[in-house]
Amino acid sequence: MGIAKFIESVKETLGLYEFKKSSKKKSVKNLLKKLNSKKDKITKLIKKDKKQKELQEELDIVNLQIKKGEKILAKLVTNK
Amino acid sequence: MILRKIFLPVILIILAYGFWISPDFKEISAGVAIFLFGMLSLEEGFKAFSGGVLERILKKSTDSTTKSIGFGVLATTVMQSSSLVSVLTISFLGAGLIGLAQGIGIVFGANIGTTTGAWLVAGFGLKVKISAYAMPMLVFGVILIFQKSKSLKGVGYILAGLGFLFLGIHYMKDGFEAFKDTIDLASFGGTGLKYLFIFTGIGIFATVVMQSSHATLVLIITALSVGQISYENALALAIGANVGTTITAIIGAMSSNIVGKRLAGAHLIFNVTTGLIAIIFMGQIMYSVDIVSAFVGISADDWTLKLAVFHTIFNIIGVVVMIPFINKLVVFLESTLKDTKDIGDKNIEHTKYLNDSVLELPGTSMAAIIRETKHLYENAFEIISHGLNIKRSNILSSMDLKDVIKEQYSNNSVDIDDFYNRKIKGIYGEIIDFSTKAQSEMTPEYIQELYKIKLANRDIVEAVKDTKHLQKNMIKYSISSNEYIKEQYNNIRIDLAELLRNIDILSKTTQEDEIILLLSKVKLHAQKYDIIANGTLDNLIRNSLITNEMATSLMNDSTYAFDISKNLIAMSEIIFIDRSGDINNLGNDMIMDDDDIDSILKKDN
Repeated sequence: MGIAKFIESVKETLGLYEFKKSSKKKSVKNLLKKLNSKKDKITKLIKKDKKQKELQEELDIVNLQIKKGEKILAKLVTNK
Repeated sequence: MILRKIFLPVILIILAYGFWISPDFKEISAGVAIFLFGMLSLEEGFKAFSGGVLERILKKSTDSTTKSIGFGVLATTVMQSSSLVSVLTISFLGAGLIGLAQGIGIVFGANIGTTTGAWLVAGFGLKVKISAYAMPMLVFGVILIFQKSKSLKGVGYILAGLGFLFLGIHYMKDGFEAFKDTIDLASFGGTGLKYLFIFTGIGIFATVVMQSSHATLVLIITALSVGQISYENALALAIGANVGTTITAIIGAMSSNIVGKRLAGAHLIFNVTTGLIAIIFMGQIMYSVDIVSAFVGISADDWTLKLAVFHTIFNIIGVVVMIPFINKLVVFLESTLKDTKDIGDKNIEHTKYLNDSVLELPGTSMAAIIRETKHLYENAFEIISHGLNIKRSNILSSMDLKDVIKEQYSNNSVDIDDFYNRKIKGIYGEIIDFSTKAQSEMTPEYIQELYKIKLANRDIVEAVKDTKHLQKNMIKYSISSNEYIKEQYNNIRIDLAELLRNIDILSKTTQEDEIILLLSKVKLHAQKYDIIANGTLDNLIRNSLITNEMATSLMNDSTYAFDISKNLIAMSEIIFIDRSGDINNLGNDMIMDDDDIDSILKKDN
């Protein structure tokens, strides 16, 4: 067995590929948590009627990012 | 240079004569040579891991002087090479990742760390038959060196390095033991101030010849262990080795850049001061060595371990004495040793963070290139804001953007070509040149990353060039009597000022949700305010609100403005995202694409 193959098999045995995937999952989860709290903050500010247009735009962006994040997370979970 | 030319043949002749008259001297010298070779191999091994791990640790452990000292102690203890730690420190200083104060802290720490070598040799090396460990280490090490994997190669070099170190110590010890039967070196020694200075001088000389205080110290310890030198003389030799190592550092720094020279200066001042303290207070330090030795259970006649205690105590005293003066030392070194780049053509700006000493360390070169790109952007920011006739400070303030454009930077147009030649061209050229050189030491992953950074640099340069085109009509129409064209040009100024402000916030924030939001926002605004895409231009022409000439200019200039935005956003995505954060881990998956922007724009309409 060549050294490269040996390293590959060790990586597989130790589940290092899975580790990479789970760290990506962790990153999405972290970001989603932050984005959701941002969403709550903006929604509260909109209710107070401050800079409506600007805040609405920010809310649209955050909503879109949350959707994107959830999509990535779902994909990572199904590929498991 | 002439001295060097004479020095080398003289040393070689002395050695050859020594080998001829004494086989024991030959054995000791071979031991030193093998030991030094082991150190080279050990350094080579640790360099293999400098592509990321070492840099990350160094970056995180040097944000304060105390931490820097701690890092210096730890790194030198682990790697058993203060010179490798110095090389890394110079690289980090050069790349601007740490300040001179932190660098000095590491060097101070390395001085304490290097004393662990004496402990290892005195406590372990001489009491155990370490040559028994050397052979398997050499065999495993050499096998691993021949492997393709960089990490395995690195481990191989470290193992072989340790093997050679052990073997070297074994030969030195054997040589001194055999030497004892023919000549008693201790008879040349003596006590008193005279011998203190003589042996300190010998220590300096031996370290300069061997280019390693570690090797000198091992030689001292082995000679001391077989009684070839007295304890007092060994202490003086150890002080000499400490001073001698700075001469090695100075010789090395002669070909280094300014940061290397400053660090070597700090090293010299520290070690000479420490040496003087040790000489002046020799009696008191020896007394404290006896107390500490008794306290930790070292027997009164275990001279080698007592030497290790002495070495540690006097280096710690040096650090404690020098800590309060670190900031003064920084000021002194920076004012005494000035960068020759600054002395040259004062009008042309050069790179701040790139120097060839970091080329061997891919992670550090990458960090240096990113820093330099940020420096290039700072200059571009200045040119773009002046090209838009806006004050930089106003963009960076929280002032309403409508007010920002009212306050003009100058009544005359700024010469962007001149700015470009002075503040962009040279730096950009040096970045590209350095990147090409750095690439040869990089792995494919790093090269891919570097390619993106080169693109970011190109984006910055393009944005500056577009500003030059934009500027021509900007001045003319932003004060035009036609309110419509004036409004459009001022809108362009507002949009670009907003972009620059957002990029500035982006560059300073560490909140990842904020980064995503800002990046998305600037991307969205670039599309939203593109007057060709949003129909504003058509409307102005259709209703004859502007002349044909104005329409052509506006169309061209809004394209330039759009390109500036596009380039600066692309650059921000590469340069201002934390490479160790969650966004980077997700690649481009979370970054807004054109479809996402369209969906939000449709919602707005």
